[in-house]
Amino acid sequence: MRKFTALLLGICLAASTAFGGGYQVSLHSMRNIGMGLIGTSLTYDASSFFYNPGAAAFVQDRFSISGGVSLLMARTTFQPKDVMGQYNIENLLNTPLYFYFGFKPFEDLSIGLAVNTPYGNKLSWGDEWQGRYLIQDLAFKAITVQPSFSYKIKDVFSFGMGLVLTFGNVELNKALPIEGQSGVDGKVNIKGSTYNVGFNGGILVRPVKGLNIGVDYRSKVNMVVDEADATFTVPVSMQFNFPDQKVATSLPLPANLDFGISYEIKEKLLIGINLCYVFWSAYDSLVFDFKTKTAALDKTCAPAMYENKLIPRIGAQYKVNDIVTVRLGGYYDPTPVPDDHLNPQTPSMNQIGLTAGLSVFPFKGFSIDAAFLYVMGLEKEGTYSPENFSGTYKTNVYIPGIGLSYSF
Amino acid sequence: MKKLLYILFSFVILAGCEPKIDELSPNKGSADFSRFVSVGNSMVAGLTDGALYFSAQQNSIPNLLAQQFQLAGGGAFVQPVVKSEFGVEFPGSMPRLKLGYVTDCTGAPSLGPVPDLGPRDPLQPVGYQVNNLGIPGAKSFHLLVPGYALLNPYYFRFATDPNNMVIQEIPPLNSTFFALWLGSNDVLGYAISGGVGDTITGQATFGPAMGGIVQSLVGTGTKGVIANIPDIHDIPFFTTIPYNGMVLPSQDIVDQVNFAMGHFGLPYTYQLGPNPFLVADPTSSRPVYKVRQMKPGELVLLTVPQDSLCLGMGLISSITLTPWPLPDQFVLTQDEIKDEITNIETAIAGYNVIITGLAQTNGLALVDMNTKLKELESGLVWDGIHMNANFVTGGVFSLDGIHLNSRGNAIAANYFIESINAEYGSTIPFVDITKYQGVLFP
Repeated sequence: MRKFTALLLGICLAASTAFGGGYQVSLHSMRNIGMGLIGTSLTYDASSFFYNPGAAAFVQDRFSISGGVSLLMARTTFQPKDVMGQYNIENLLNTPLYFYFGFKPFEDLSIGLAVNTPYGNKLSWGDEWQGRYLIQDLAFKAITVQPSFSYKIKDVFSFGMGLVLTFGNVELNKALPIEGQSGVDGKVNIKGSTYNVGFNGGILVRPVKGLNIGVDYRSKVNMVVDEADATFTVPVSMQFNFPDQKVATSLPLPANLDFGISYEIKEKLLIGINLCYVFWSAYDSLVFDFKTKTAALDKTCAPAMYENKLIPRIGAQYKVNDIVTVRLGGYYDPTPVPDDHLNPQTPSMNQIGLTAGLSVFPFKGFSIDAAFLYVMGLEKEGTYSPENFSGTYKTNVYIPGIGLSYSF
Repeated sequence: MKKLLYILFSFVILAGCEPKIDELSPNKGSADFSRFVSVGNSMVAGLTDGALYFSAQQNSIPNLLAQQFQLAGGGAFVQPVVKSEFGVEFPGSMPRLKLGYVTDCTGAPSLGPVPDLGPRDPLQPVGYQVNNLGIPGAKSFHLLVPGYALLNPYYFRFATDPNNMVIQEIPPLNSTFFALWLGSNDVLGYAISGGVGDTITGQATFGPAMGGIVQSLVGTGTKGVIANIPDIHDIPFFTTIPYNGMVLPSQDIVDQVNFAMGHFGLPYTYQLGPNPFLVADPTSSRPVYKVRQMKPGELVLLTVPQDSLCLGMGLISSITLTPWPLPDQFVLTQDEIKDEITNIETAIAGYNVIITGLAQTNGLALVDMNTKLKELESGLVWDGIHMNANFVTGGVFSLDGIHLNSRGNAIAANYFIESINAEYGSTIPFVDITKYQGVLFP
């Protein structure tokens, strides 16, 4: 199992920068990205197995395959409160991927597999910046593999469910204010990986032709790392206080409850809205429990105090002709982080996302899908009060992406 | 295809744009920082780790302030530069201290301050006019003593005339803003000598002296900032060694000590673990062994010699096998004939009333260092650094236990800036304290 995990993490997945509130990444299908990331009520392809397994049985084709990659370019600027100088997060180029496969053995039953990266966070503030005692760099990635089924009852109702196998790893570095004779900071590196299982279930109702109403719930997955490696670099005289050792920690990947409604007019124009409720309050603190306790190392608890948030999304697509389909959308993603717990580990702020997309069908059933997402972070001033670290953050994210879909 | 490449290329260009946040725009408010002068003692000079050396002087509180003032119209700030990293050489000068290994009573190595020796600057005048008139060792009234340069080598280094009073250095500088932090030595001289080697400056001397100094700084309306005097209970030199720091490690030793005390006619029962030190008790009615145990609230100084403690000082001498009290110069005691701690507390309270009054009557910004160090004593977190007023582990005081280290100076400079901004409506930015070193470990 461990070998399998390593393989998946090493090969399938490049890291994702969280650009949504907190550390949720919502880049799951180019078609959906183009429409403001809506998806709970859509039934175009196998991506439904992720957005709403309940909707997948309404996908018309017997086989549906899609895959794609986004090019995520995030820039964050930080102005410390009342101190001169600004800092920029180094430009991290990340490439979140997705892959979906759906198959209908019978008309009313669909089975499928969804592989994607719904959570992640990667940033690097550098080794010398003012907040280095909170964080220097962080890479957290989670990949989910979700085998699922979906079953349709007549043409008005369907339900579906999948098991969410989640594999994650994390690595972080931060400076310690314990300086050697040359004035160089101490340092700690924490590295670990884990997996856990959750579920994803949903329903779709089609009361009249063209109108879809979907509800989906993805459970929380608690990523518990029992034995991460903690490695310390400190002056010789302090090494007895900082032995290299195992440390236990955990990070909850919050549950999502999504509600979507969409209406298709004459198979040409589709408009839809989504309301996504994210149960962020699961993340109340980040605990590190060191196995070898010393005067300097014990169980540390960094309060996070995240709050549940509702993300409204809207999107539309227009089928120009048999070859070209265009899409537009937007959303508002309020930050789950309270002002007094704004931490440079996850510099989260309210965001407005604007999206555009395009699909080209060279022949029936096959499409090349492109999307562009621009995320504008709204400047946020805050403090991480447990460490008395204050300043103003602002993020811009540009995410072009490309994918392929084939249904037959 | 070409078009697609072009679009992709513009995305990459777009991504190069950093999000814009307005930068700070420092403003001088109603103050004028163009010619800044600082006056005071070792805290102002930048003395750290028991010595005035190059990097510590560069990180002196007024030099850090001057760098911030330069963001809002401040001019050059000249210090009497010490070139050596080990200090200035003169008769009686103390070595710089660093954290090293010392041997404790059981023979095991432990961390403690040790001399950091190296070539020092010879004592000679720097030969230029300076803005930092911080003079280690100076008391308030010393600044009004003609020829003080001949009594204090640190003033000798930058005195423009050896017959001058220090306050005569002030008018030629034609300053537009000043910082004054003076008066600690008026009581610390007494306190660090255990109340035997020096006297406390009386309020009747302190008031007029400080008034005269402020008058010569204010002149015809120069603005400035003045700081008050911290409590000795917030300074690790006085708080590191507890009154009951005599630790008896085994029941055997406890039994022997109790037997001996009975033999000496001393009514003290010792137990396993910490016990009060013995100190001299001149009021004792006993014919011999005029000693008593220390009381809670009494203070042992950081300078108490460790090797003597290992030989039984504070308990029973392992050589003469008789009671061996801590010598008076290493303790601050409270008894009927001499209450050293109350003397100190009363003096500081009086000084601070005078300083507050001077700030108010002259419209000066006041830095309440007394309160700030009390806050530090109970723990301070800043930019992820957890600090307090403990020796070494607190991270703010230097290895002499009295002066702040560079990070402590950066924090103190921010307290000054806070008060200046509040008084004069300026927006001088804070110092980034993470750029300044705390305690360095071997």
